[in-house]
Amino acid sequence: MDLSRPETTARNDRAPWLTLKTREMLEAWLFVSPTVIGFLIFFLGPLVAVVYFSMTEWNLLSQKATFVGLDNFNDTLFKNPDFWHVVRNSVVFAIGLVPLNMALALTLALALSRPFFGVVFFRTVFFAPVITSAIAWAIVWKFLLQGEGGVINQMLALVGITGPNWLREPNWAMAAVIVTRVIKMVGLNMILYIAALQAVPRDYEEAARLEGASRWQVFTMVIWPLLAPTTLVILVITTIGSFKVFDHIYQMTGGGPENGTLVLAFYIYQQGFKFFNVGYAAALAMIMFVIVMALTLIQVWIRRRGTQ
Amino acid sequence: MADVVLKDIRKQFGATEIIRGVDLTVDEGEFAVFVGPSGCGKSTLLRMISGLEDVSSGELHIGGRRMNDVQAAKRGVGMVFQSYALYPHLNVRDNMGFGLKVRKVPVDERDRRVREAAATLKLDALLDRYPRQLSGGQRQRVAIGRAIVGSPDVFLFDEPLSNLDAELRVHMRSEIAALHNRLKTTMIYVTHDQIEAMTLADKIVVLRDGLVEQIGSPRDLYEKPNNVFVAQFIGSPRMNLLPAAEAKLISPTHALPASAVSVGVRPEHLRVVEPTTDSLSATVTLNEYTGAVTLMHVELPGGQTCLVVDDKRDMPPIGTRIGLTADKDNLHFFDADGRAVS
Repeated sequence: MDLSRPETTARNDRAPWLTLKTREMLEAWLFVSPTVIGFLIFFLGPLVAVVYFSMTEWNLLSQKATFVGLDNFNDTLFKNPDFWHVVRNSVVFAIGLVPLNMALALTLALALSRPFFGVVFFRTVFFAPVITSAIAWAIVWKFLLQGEGGVINQMLALVGITGPNWLREPNWAMAAVIVTRVIKMVGLNMILYIAALQAVPRDYEEAARLEGASRWQVFTMVIWPLLAPTTLVILVITTIGSFKVFDHIYQMTGGGPENGTLVLAFYIYQQGFKFFNVGYAAALAMIMFVIVMALTLIQVWIRRRGTQ
Repeated sequence: MADVVLKDIRKQFGATEIIRGVDLTVDEGEFAVFVGPSGCGKSTLLRMISGLEDVSSGELHIGGRRMNDVQAAKRGVGMVFQSYALYPHLNVRDNMGFGLKVRKVPVDERDRRVREAAATLKLDALLDRYPRQLSGGQRQRVAIGRAIVGSPDVFLFDEPLSNLDAELRVHMRSEIAALHNRLKTTMIYVTHDQIEAMTLADKIVVLRDGLVEQIGSPRDLYEKPNNVFVAQFIGSPRMNLLPAAEAKLISPTHALPASAVSVGVRPEHLRVVEPTTDSLSATVTLNEYTGAVTLMHVELPGGQTCLVVDDKRDMPPIGTRIGLTADKDNLHFFDADGRAVS
């Protein structure tokens, strides 16, 4: 008999109550559970609810929901001319905003990606609108863009130009909301581009310079292709963001004049909370979800292709 | 081909002077290697020659033409970067032909020159591959190929082998040497690896703190170092440095120069003998067997550690008292300032 054998050994030899694998799995679930619970309550739950509501006729005032199958989608896509007008507005908004935003963001990033005195100040100035309240931003621009007495028009008057009533004229309202939205959000894309530019090894540019490339050639033949993954991400998130714009339109034009700035997200709000057609609004939201999902899938597909 | 002449070249970044007056001539067709410890300014000097860094003061001539204010692309230099700097979105063919494309060389001519360079470097089968599909050695060859395609007068290499593993480094070293023999173009090569410097160079430029410590052939630097720094930087393992008085013991027949305060002797020049009054007595503290040679660490009576390289397999065991001697021709004397004295 081995008397030196410690008594605790027998206890240690016993199989533990939880295996290492089980314990690690429980720990993992413990860590991810807050996110999972949040996802279920705030994302998946509402999403399932919207899918269901989209197949009901439910007027918020009547408090009565009737299952109607795909009627709401049928009405939206084939019977409601307003819907296609709204889609057209959303597309115009996106086509106006996305290239302008990206071009401006890239230009600013190129100017602000290299260190110079005051660079942090300028980056802050251009990024500040991103973290500014959208409503406050819209209110300020609404004042600036007033027809008479607006600061913009007063400045134009100084050089002899009579500015229009920007937010009241159908031809100008869309341009005004696009430009003000670009100025608000361009800082975000600028930061993404700056990060991407700073990640491009300096050697590439130097090698190209040594081989005789001009600055323009260095940009078009070396830098721009290397920015492609970032450009793709920016393209998709900006496009999605442009389809989802609401607060800006709500505060600046309310969808007017003459529904000239009535975009999809605002139209959903109108249907749901002004006309109380919750079922119909849910169907619109589903259509918007499909559009946004399609854009996201395109991004994933293109990125996978690029990686391969 | 062109020679490269530097006259009192200086480089300042703000108030800090990185290159502090370098005079150097690299002859046409010569293979010069800049070597020195990290931060000595060797890469900065190379970048100044390439035109990627401007010259704060002094004169830089390539092929007899003053280049201080000439754009990098117009200096007739081709450069191989430490990181290779291969454009990841272009295949090997387009990487190699990039310089010709931006210079609007016709497609046929571009293709011919790329194929020629590819054949020289055995890259023919890799022309359609992207850098990510290549091994380290292949990337290195593409980087060299890109420089060759431009037919430069001077090749510049900035630590081109430092990202390769030891075996590949030896292989690529021989390829670069063979390339120089074939092209006979002036080459300037930066490295911190003195073995690379010794094996490749016609002329080695040893730099320290922005100054040239010595210029000479590998043999000159090994056999006749100008100062303690060069003596210890060139040669591996580094030269042993002992008080000058020990010289009498290492080589009894040698006359000690009057101003000598220290004596240097390379580990491979020390011989192990029986301890006598005519030899330097030491105690073995460690034997490192490397296969071809054994590196023996010994402790001198004064507590100083000394290295001995011997090709014998069986070295005295640890703790053994031994004697050390060397031929007088293999002793290097230095004065109080570290300068060589004869």
